[in-house]
Amino acid sequence: MRNPVMIGERLYLRPLEKEDAVELARYTAEETETFFDMGRTPVSPLAWERWITKLYTHEPGSAIHFAVCRKEDDRLIGTVGISSIDWINRVAETEAWLGGAENRGKGYGPEAKHLLLEYCFERIHLHMVYSWVWEPNFRSAAAVRRQGYRDAGRVKTLGRKEGRFRDALMFDLFRDEWLAARDAWRARQEAKS
Amino acid sequence: MRAVYLTGPTIYLRALQADDKDVAMAWHQSPFPIDATRAEQILNEVHSDPWDSREWLLAIARLADDAVVGSVRIYFWRDEASVRVHTAPWVTDADAVQAEALRLVLPWLRDERERLLIELNLPADQPATLAAAEEAGFTARARLREYFARPGHRVDLVVYQWVHPIVEAAHA
Repeated sequence: MRNPVMIGERLYLRPLEKEDAVELARYTAEETETFFDMGRTPVSPLAWERWITKLYTHEPGSAIHFAVCRKEDDRLIGTVGISSIDWINRVAETEAWLGGAENRGKGYGPEAKHLLLEYCFERIHLHMVYSWVWEPNFRSAAAVRRQGYRDAGRVKTLGRKEGRFRDALMFDLFRDEWLAARDAWRARQEAKS
Repeated sequence: MRAVYLTGPTIYLRALQADDKDVAMAWHQSPFPIDATRAEQILNEVHSDPWDSREWLLAIARLADDAVVGSVRIYFWRDEASVRVHTAPWVTDADAVQAEALRLVLPWLRDERERLLIELNLPADQPATLAAAEEAGFTARARLREYFARPGHRVDLVVYQWVHPIVEAAHA
């Protein structure tokens, strides 16, 4: 493992490095899904490199992002992070993205997200985190509910899919709700194995 | 430099100017202190291009004595706008000042700037401010639990939106 911050069973989280820009660009170029209202967009490695460089210029900053890597081969498979961090009120917005269709459906997403939430609640002691999910991305909505998030409302957006405007769903999560969801996830994992 | 179209019973909104660096804590939307030098930098950054309309920061000034008592920050993105209101730390009637500021800025964004979507995130413990948003046709669409820390307790954040009728119809 290279420079890990949070370590799980199959994955670990580490700071993003400039060299990750090429892999992130490859994932965005190969994206099979349209998760967001701007759809699929090829993003230059230069843009990823500038974004990564800016992430670590303030300590603490208003955003914290991690590379999600496999322990077995150190391969970068996505990013998780928090943005809009309000250090006074101790709240932040969570984000997660797994790149590469070959990495989906293997349980990496929940493991990465639980590592991020452990960082949020047990390392930097946030009080509450929240998340936005674009309504057509129903798999993400189901995933955050399984991670313990509660529905907080439905807001309008100007994002369109298949010719009509779509809503975004908002969710929020406290530490005790996350702990209960993580216990349930671990129990499901044990039952599978 | 009062804008006649942004003047209410006790306050008015105006563009910030160089002299406002000396009262930065009244308009700077942060609890962390800044000095006049940093305030001048921020004023120059925010006002670097008169044609750049991605972000506006307006002073809330008191009609009685022209004192700056707060600010309204407006972010523009595509046909959307989001609004943040701030009052000076020494203002004792913050809820009332914010409510009056919203009564000026929200109809202006809605009717004159013709935004399609306007968003406003407000603490749930400011009844006059919430009422001003609702008077302007804003609807509470989401509520984040215990978002704001207050002495001894926490307060929810309410997400208010105004949606243009053509967008509302298309959503239906």
